[in-house]
Amino acid sequence: MLEIKNLHASVEGEDEQILKGVNLTINKGEIHAIMGPNGSGKSTLAKVVSGHPEYEVTEGEILFEGEDVTELDADERAHLGMFLAFQYPIEVPGITNRTLLRESYNTIARENDREELDPLEFDDYLKERLEVIDMKDEFLERSINTGFSGGEKKKNEVFQMAVLNPKLAFMDETDSGLDIDALKIVSDGINKIAGPENAIVLITHYQRLLNYITPDYVHVMMNGKIVKSAGKELALELEDQGYEQLEKEFSVNGEAQ
Amino acid sequence: MSVAVKEKETILNFLDGDFGTVSNIPTIAGVNEKGAGNISEFPFPKKKDEDWRFTDLRSISRNHFVPVADAGAEPVGDISKHYLPEAKNSRLVFVNGEFNTELSSTEDIPEEVIVGNMAAYGDNEILQKHLGKYTNYDQDQDVFAALNDANFKDGTFIYVPKETKVEAPIHILNIFTDAQKAFYATPRVLFVGEAYSKATIVEEHIALVENEYLNVTVNEFKLFEGAHVHHARIQRDSKKANHISRPLAHLDKYAEYHSYTICLGAKLFRNDPRVVQNDEEVDFTIDGLVLIDGEQIADTHSAIDHRHWHAKSHQLHKVVVNDNAHSIFNGKIFVREDSQKIDSFQENRNLLLSENGTVNTKPQLEIFSDDVLCSHGATIGHLNEDEVFYLHSRGLTKKKARELLVYAFTLESIETMEVESVHKLLLEEVVKYTSRDEEFVAVGKD
Repeated sequence: MLEIKNLHASVEGEDEQILKGVNLTINKGEIHAIMGPNGSGKSTLAKVVSGHPEYEVTEGEILFEGEDVTELDADERAHLGMFLAFQYPIEVPGITNRTLLRESYNTIARENDREELDPLEFDDYLKERLEVIDMKDEFLERSINTGFSGGEKKKNEVFQMAVLNPKLAFMDETDSGLDIDALKIVSDGINKIAGPENAIVLITHYQRLLNYITPDYVHVMMNGKIVKSAGKELALELEDQGYEQLEKEFSVNGEAQ
Repeated sequence: MSVAVKEKETILNFLDGDFGTVSNIPTIAGVNEKGAGNISEFPFPKKKDEDWRFTDLRSISRNHFVPVADAGAEPVGDISKHYLPEAKNSRLVFVNGEFNTELSSTEDIPEEVIVGNMAAYGDNEILQKHLGKYTNYDQDQDVFAALNDANFKDGTFIYVPKETKVEAPIHILNIFTDAQKAFYATPRVLFVGEAYSKATIVEEHIALVENEYLNVTVNEFKLFEGAHVHHARIQRDSKKANHISRPLAHLDKYAEYHSYTICLGAKLFRNDPRVVQNDEEVDFTIDGLVLIDGEQIADTHSAIDHRHWHAKSHQLHKVVVNDNAHSIFNGKIFVREDSQKIDSFQENRNLLLSENGTVNTKPQLEIFSDDVLCSHGATIGHLNEDEVFYLHSRGLTKKKARELLVYAFTLESIETMEVESVHKLLLEEVVKYTSRDEEFVAVGKD
């Protein structure tokens, strides 16, 4: 589904590379976790894959279902079925969740020659999807993320994903800042959405999310590269040993090998 | 040796008219005479005048305006699409400043209430008592208020008796038609609300074509004790027109006056709303929403005068500027000595959609009391690119994302509209403004 080949990227207009040759293949039906210390490039990878204009791909390519999406705008990637759950969801005062989701859902439907939903049909659909994250109807009338608690913002990202039903979702630290109850709701939601036809990439700092969502693969990112990939047991290993061991193993004078 | 004396420039340099002619109604004639004296005396504003520093008046001073009668104005035709369903029979229509009986309808107005044209109420004691008594623009040598004073022979007269509520909104519809020459018109409104009366006024200015004219309006609103007025003002003048507006409200004890001015049209719009607190415990709003593009100039110079204890005043002035348009805001708030317990809020928020738009904003608070709560703020910004990207990442084009964000920015101002059809009309206007065919001009980075 997604193939990232030798991806190099920097902040637009700056020389310093943040991604220094990422290779990653994700097939449908899989859940991947990308872990790594702060500043390793995890969030940058998510942003670059989603088409954030702040970053520039300097080398390599991103293939989504065989199509090169490296140069596509963020909305075109969304139309293809790619989704980014933001680490820091943006507050947009004045636009309700309902308005955004209807606009978004129908735009994606139109681009894929699927039928758009009229307001009534869409309302029914929204209500059904609200159950995924255990939220009440009032949630729809609130301005996007405006005045939301940290947990509500993260739930909203999962809710948007539940409504838009992407093929591939990058979830950037969706677990950070959640209390135990919210973490359970969010992971439950993600588990309900995960299926044989889609793929989910969890970017996380901590192992605790993986107590609730079982990844098929765990990757460790360091210094702009994926340095180690293994099964779910790797996450537990990291929890035990921290990143120091790996840092020693893969780093000489601060440079990844 | 002879010294060339430069003749003083007055507004008479830019228009024709016989201001010796006064109304045959003594009350109106009195105001006309005073105005005629003032317009030949008051100097036309210059850039060096503090109140006109940023305002480009060339669309007036490089033009020449004639009285409507000499302009070769087109007849009005069918304007029913501009009628409000809620005000079907509570409507006064003025075409190029002149009252139109056929198009007006006041059947739904209760008998004891007056909604009509001033010229028909020449003998009315209330008109005689109040007309011209409240405007204070002369103290600033205001040439435009003087022009209105000198020229108006008719206007809107509304009188709501004690403890009476006018259920239907009163629609004052000012229509401007095409003409062979640029003309001037001087709509005038006198509203008198007696104790504990209640009314909603929708004042509209609509051009049927994009022609040149000068629309100079003066509104006098007198609210007696506990009177309550909701006043929506929607300016959809021609984008080649000049609209100079002087709306003043004079509030007695417990009065509530809420006005919302929406600026969509005009090449030059200059609005100087004033509220005078004439007694304790008043509550008022003078909000504004400005959506301009092209070469439009929209200038609001407001003055709020707290003269007594206990007032609550609210002013939210929201502005969206695109292309080369220019917005000016100067918000004066006075709190006089010994006017304690004043709660005054002023905010001017500006959204710049283009590189070449200009915004000047100046809150101006003059507070001479010590137990008051006055807050004010002004912001100028582009659209937030993080917000744009967030919506963009959800599949919306950048253009659509920006449209939605501009729409959201304006909503707060529009939601205050009590009359449903006006609310709907404004939503449509906002969509029209935000979804122009062209791409928005450079907003942040792409």
